[in-house]
Amino acid sequence: MNPEAARPRVTALALAVGLVLADSSVVVLALPEIYRELDTSVAGVTWVLVSFNLVMALAAVPAALLARRAGPGRAAAVGLAVFAGAGLACGLADDLSTLILARCVQALGGAAAVTAALELLPATVGSERGAAHVWAAAGATGAALGPAIGGILTELVSWQSIFLLQVPVALVAAAPILAVARHEAATGVIEPELRRTGRPHLWANLALAMVSAAIAAALFLLVLLLIEGWRLTPIGAAIVVSVMPLAALLGSRLGGLVPSARARAAAGAILVSGGLGGLALLPKAEVALTVPPQILVGIGLSLVLSALTETALGGRSPQAIHGGWTISARHAGVVLGLLALTPIFTHDIEAQRRDAIDAGTAVILDSPVDPLLKIELAGKISDRLGGEKGKVPTLGPVFEPLPEDPGERAEAERLRDELQEQLDRGATHAFSPSFGLAALLGLLALVPIGLARRVEL
Amino acid sequence: MSRGRLLVVGSLVASLALVGVYLAAGGASYAPEKTQNPCKSRAWRNPGNLQQIAEQFSLSALDGAACELGVSREALARALASKEGRERFAKRYGIDDAKLAEAIRAGLVRAVDDAEEAGALSPFIAGPLRATVEQIPLPEAIELIRDARKTLSSLEDLLGPAGGLIEELIP
Repeated sequence: MNPEAARPRVTALALAVGLVLADSSVVVLALPEIYRELDTSVAGVTWVLVSFNLVMALAAVPAALLARRAGPGRAAAVGLAVFAGAGLACGLADDLSTLILARCVQALGGAAAVTAALELLPATVGSERGAAHVWAAAGATGAALGPAIGGILTELVSWQSIFLLQVPVALVAAAPILAVARHEAATGVIEPELRRTGRPHLWANLALAMVSAAIAAALFLLVLLLIEGWRLTPIGAAIVVSVMPLAALLGSRLGGLVPSARARAAAGAILVSGGLGGLALLPKAEVALTVPPQILVGIGLSLVLSALTETALGGRSPQAIHGGWTISARHAGVVLGLLALTPIFTHDIEAQRRDAIDAGTAVILDSPVDPLLKIELAGKISDRLGGEKGKVPTLGPVFEPLPEDPGERAEAERLRDELQEQLDRGATHAFSPSFGLAALLGLLALVPIGLARRVEL
Repeated sequence: MSRGRLLVVGSLVASLALVGVYLAAGGASYAPEKTQNPCKSRAWRNPGNLQQIAEQFSLSALDGAACELGVSREALARALASKEGRERFAKRYGIDDAKLAEAIRAGLVRAVDDAEEAGALSPFIAGPLRATVEQIPLPEAIELIRDARKTLSSLEDLLGPAGGLIEELIP
């Protein structure tokens, strides 16, 4: 296929891969809204993410086999249509069960589209290596951009708009692929034989799963810290977490300068862990302090995801099935990360919230204000806590109206600031163990990366 | 050094530098301040007048009651602020009014003891006050914790002729 004619199809296939892989993280910033609007629990809302990633993990390899049997063009087109239809159902869902069910169907369509895209790309791009590069880069970009796009849509329109917008995008991506599907329908599909070299790359896929768990935790936990802990709006949080995709762009340029996939994978895993370590040790509740860790995570995720995906696919055939294994490993890692870390951080955030409120109340009790006012303030804090579901509350209104006497006013302001400081400390500290564990997972990925090196000799 | 090694070493240095800087800036200890165990006595701050005695009396009573109930002084203070707060507290900790009343009375007794030990109340006042708070009904006990000023200043009424000694006996 000549390059000019191939360009729209490569773009469409990259768009399809990016769209589907962004979907594993696109709702991260919308979760707090979904949590409140659908009146569920933190553990319940996590399943909006978990269900999609779990089905992707389970369906990727069977979908790749199906794509080879039914024809990759048809599989990609049908997959994108299913993805779009389920996206519409997600956008119209008014309860958590419907939303989770639609997310599962979305993942089935997505798995078919993504694995079939990898089968179509070599013929379109001109080489398997080039196809693997386009596929891996589209996936990493989608995963990195997902949260920021989801946050902006949630704030400007609604969480439902994330899913509704996927419908036209999926259809646009499907349009150039329809020609291939029609051609397959006309000529029939000859399923290529599976070669013996088709064994999945165990260590690269294992490392992908571990790193994906760490990255999912980084995105999910950071978003929750920003919105639920530090009370940022979804759009504010989207702007903050867009540091990661920007850094990922830098990472992909950096990766282009280093030919060794093992070195890129190792460096990426170290950077992801270092960034998560930084997030676990934030010395203050300040957005600016999340930027250096995010830069490390962003550069790291770009390096490690593309290097491991290329290693898992390199020299292996058929590409779609190995692509299926990498998709399966990545999404299984995301599920592992979410399921392992969510209970830890939900427990920690509740405990830290109580400690923070106690510390704040202690400041009030030990202050020189009128005893009756102390008890009244303690009561207002208690009411405020009951009123804000899960969210760390803003305590400014507790101190309203501020006293007119300058001395009393200064004291009230000091108390308010001290109390909010204790809450910020609690919210930030609640995430530390989970970030720390995620960092450890990222570091552990160095073991399979090291073993992959031996196998590759 | 090859580009690959340079990248790995650079990543390691950048990661360690970030973690080191955040540790040095206090990242490991950025957490809410620990509240004091209510079962441990707090030193009274040199009480100079009735208001300060009343404040420290309330805090001491809160500590004593919280210690009895096995909760923090701060959680109990929030509970005593309103009826709703008390109901939430009762539900969360499984504490009924009888148990709460018993704990608050014990807290008030401890407050009298602490005040006496700190030299803020003379034994002449501490004795009758202790006897009074041991029998005090729950609403009045809560009111006493919320604001002990009224009670201390009206001890005169409670104690009859002996109450007149208060102003002289409070250092």
